[in-house]
Order: sequence, then C-alpha cells, then structure tokens
Amino acid sequence: MVGFLVGEALRDLRRAGRVAVSAIVLITLSLAALGGFWLVSSNLDRAVARWRDRVRIVVYLKREPSSSDVAALVERVRATPGVAAVTFVGKAEALRGLKQVLGKDAGVVDQLPANPLPASLEVTPAAAAATPEGARELVARLAALPEADEVAGSVDWVEHLSHWQRLLTTIGLGVGAVLGFAAILTVTTATTLVLHARRHETEIMRLVGASEVTIRLPLLLQGMMQGLVGAVLALATLVLTYSLVAPRLEPLVNLTLGLSQLVFFTPLGVITLLGAGTLLGGLGGWLARAGREP
Amino acid sequence: MIEVHRVSKVYSVGPVKVPALREVSFRIAKGEFVVLTGASGAGKTTLLRLLYRDDLPSEGDIEVLGYDLVPMRRSQVAALRRSIGVVFQDAKLLPVRTVYENVAFVLRVLGAPRREITERVFDALRIVGMSSRAQAYPAQLSQGEAQRAALARAIVRRPPLLLADEPTGNLDESMAAEILEALKDIGSGGTTIVLATHQARLAAALKRRTVTLDAGHVVKDEG
Ligand SMILES: Nc1ncnc2c1ncn2[C@@H]1O[C@H](COP(=O)(O)OP(=O)(O)OP(=O)(O)O)[C@@H](O)[C@H]1O
Ligand SMILES: [Mg+2]
Repeated sequence: MVGFLVGEALRDLRRAGRVAVSAIVLITLSLAALGGFWLVSSNLDRAVARWRDRVRIVVYLKREPSSSDVAALVERVRATPGVAAVTFVGKAEALRGLKQVLGKDAGVVDQLPANPLPASLEVTPAAAAATPEGARELVARLAALPEADEVAGSVDWVEHLSHWQRLLTTIGLGVGAVLGFAAILTVTTATTLVLHARRHETEIMRLVGASEVTIRLPLLLQGMMQGLVGAVLALATLVLTYSLVAPRLEPLVNLTLGLSQLVFFTPLGVITLLGAGTLLGGLGGWLARAGREP
Repeated sequence: MIEVHRVSKVYSVGPVKVPALREVSFRIAKGEFVVLTGASGAGKTTLLRLLYRDDLPSEGDIEVLGYDLVPMRRSQVAALRRSIGVVFQDAKLLPVRTVYENVAFVLRVLGAPRREITERVFDALRIVGMSSRAQAYPAQLSQGEAQRAALARAIVRRPPLLLADEPTGNLDESMAAEILEALKDIGSGGTTIVLATHQARLAAALKRRTVTLDAGHVVKDEG
C-alpha cells in the first residue's frame, strides 16, 4: 500500500513537470538562504559568547604596591560590585609579558634604562557587568580607586558584534520567509496541476470505494517530496559552500573574531532543515487540496 | 439484494425542475440478470447512479446489499462501492497505464497484496478474453477491447453486484455480442447484474427479465 501511494505521488510529480521543478528550486533557494544566514548567525553568536567571557578591564596602578599590600588591594577590588575575578600583574611580570609578545625582538627591552611598564590589576567583570552600561559603571567605580592611574577596557564592540548578529538573523528570517512563501505558492500551483492531471484516477478511486486517505495522501506526499528534495539540494549547496569557504575564511575569522573554526549544522540542525522543507512542501500540497476538493 | 421503493428523482437546473424518475419501485434478487431499458432520457442512467450512490433520490428509499442508501456516511459509501462493479458507455481507462495496470489499479487502491493482485487480474482478463492484451495501452485497443478491459476492471474484485450503463453503446454488433456473452458468463457465476441499454433489439435478444422505463415511470417489468 505504501508502495502504491509513493508510486502514485512520484507519477504525479512527473506530471507536474516543470512547475514541480520550479517549486523545488524555490524551496532550495529559500532553505539555502535561511540556512546560510543561520550558519553565519550561529558562528557570530559563538564569537559573541566567547568574547563576553574574555572581556578584561585593566586598572593601571600609580605605583607598584609593596608585596605585603598586594593581597589587601586585590581583596578590596574583588569586593567591588560587578567584579568576578582580579589578578595582580607586577611591573616585572608585565615586562616578561612584553618580551614574550616581542619574541625575537625582545632584546630591545634590555636596552631600556628602567622598566617603563606600570603594575596593573586585570579585572574580569561578572556576567551582570558585561553589558555596555554595566561595564561603564564598573570602569567608573574602578577609576575612583585611590591607587588607580588609568582604567582601560569596555565591552562596546562585543555589543556591536552582537547587534550585527541579531540584525543578520532578522534579515535571514525575512528573506527566508519571503522565499518560503513563494515556494509554498509554487507547490500549490504544482499540486493544482496534479489535481487536474489526476482527475481520472480520482474518479476511478471514488467509484471503486477507495478510502479518502488513499485518494488524498498521494497529493500530500508529492508536495512533501518536492519539499524534501528542495531541502536536500539546499543542504548540499550549504555543505559545498561551507567546505569551499570555511578553510579560506578561518584564518581571517580567527584573527578578527578569535574563532579558530567555523561550525556547520549539528545533526539536529540538519534534521530541522530537512523537516522544514518537507513541511513547506506538504503545506503547499495541502493548501491546493483544501482549495479545491478533488 | 436491491430494493427500490417509490423512488423519485428531480434534477434542478437553475429554476427549472427536470423530473427523471417518478415513483419507481422494484426488487432484484441475488443472482438475477436484469435488463433496464427505455428510450433515451427515460431515466436509466439516473436510476443506476442512485444504486451505486453517486446521487441521492429526491424521494423514496433504496436498499442495496443491505445498505440503506439515503442516510449514509462517506466511509459507508466507500464500503458499498467496494461491493459494486460499474461499467459505462466509455471505458474510462487511465490512458498512461497498460490494461494490466488499469485492472490492477482498483486492487492496489484497496491495498491488496501483490501476489493476489497478479492472480486476480489475470483471472478477470481471462473471463473477458483479454489475457493476450494485458500489456497494451488503451490507445492501442479497439473500442470493444477497451470495453472488455473496463469490464475486467469492474469484476476484478469479484463484486456481488455489477452495474453496466450502455456498455455496448459505442460498439458494432459483433463487439456488442462479445460483451454481452462476457456479461452472461459473469452472471452465471452468481453475480447480480443490472444492464441498462436503450437498444430494444439487444434487450430482447438477451431473454432476461426486462424492466422498461418511460419518462421516469416503470411501464413494464417482465421475463
Ligand atoms: N445531471 C443532470 N442534471 C439535470 N438533468 C439531468 C441530469 N442527468 C439527467 N438529467 C435528465 O434526466 C432525464 C433522465 O436522464 P438519464 O440520463 O437518466 O436518461 P437515460 O435513460 O440514461 O438516457 P440515455 O439512453 O440517453 O442514456 C433526462 O431528461 C435528462 O435530461
Ligand atoms: Mg444513460
């Protein structure tokens, strides 16, 4: 029976011919657009999340505290609202850090008459302070410390990134929705053609007492097949694009966003994409059926 | 098997009322072969359509195969039709399928297992003398062959009741005779048959019970 229903649906697809093909192409386009934006957006999302917990505020100190005062100072800053963690970096340690960054040019540092780097406190804001306003308040509070010379750091650009990510998601959803709507209409048109081409079969089916399910299921199935084929093609397009673009883009993304790797869909994402296609197609098939009783 | 009680049918064409059947009553017993005859427009097709519940009577009661046809749910209509074979003046074969596939179609629609399908289809084709044409497409058939294929499709489920509406209408005399022979064969196997035809000569030649309609009335029921 299943074989019969699927066979009938395939026959219908062949009959709808070119219209079915354009329906499939539209489903492919809409899902590729949705999926593409989704991929970019989810990678940006990862970058935002990573940067959110990497944000540091650095408090440069007027003078290096004596080693006995360090613990008390760190403790006092730690107690400031909005602070998650504090690390003290002494002058000598800062210089070692600089030498490390300079690598083979580290010799320059030895030429200096004295260590020019100030001691500092590296402050990790608590999650609550990781918003632009929260960070600004924290910076102001830290600047008020009598030991503080200068305070550097903000989370503004992470917020910009996050803003872009949200904007992209919205655009992606919009473009995907418009294309998806067009796809549904095309599947509906294809199914209407199928309804017409199928009228003799439908007449015979009714005459011999076929159940309503048997009469209608092939229509729904051919719509769902259009959707599934479209989704598979969209997925193939995305996989191909990803495998071509990701290796080229990764060095750049690593440098700018700190993402060493661009991720593709999870298995759940793939299933969602295929499911969405099948649903789009099925909806088109169902709408045609509902609009005109076969 | 069939009980028609004071059935009237009036078609409404816009404001015009067209009476097609008036107070028609008769019974048909299991295994009977009944010829329904009358001039064109007498109401034969209308009556047959009521019997397989393609339409409802305006008045009266109809019972077919134990089903009361007037108050009926969709699923019951389907069940009724699974027990009735119907053939028309035009064969109504599906053009892109072979004779075999056309006949098999009605079994596949009902979910019969494949082995049984092959067996039953060839049985039906043998009864109508079409076994050798199983792989032909409808366009390659003569009208007589097409009609025999349609007959095979109607009987492939071995229904207890077969309704035939002018099955010989498009055929020359010798082809018509073939169809009638096939129908007699099917009837002698115990199937109840109602055959509608306006060809009085043909009806008389059959020598079976004949119900004659005239302008929607039963005017004769004999034989
Ligand atoms: N769907 C319909 N709508 C309106 N009038 C109809 C309809 N079907 C049949 N009629 C009318 O009902 C009457 C009986 O028609 P019916 O087709 O039952 O006759 P018939 O005996 O089968 O004729 P024929 O030998 O030409 O097939 C005719 O007057 C016909 O015009
Ligand atoms: Mg007629």
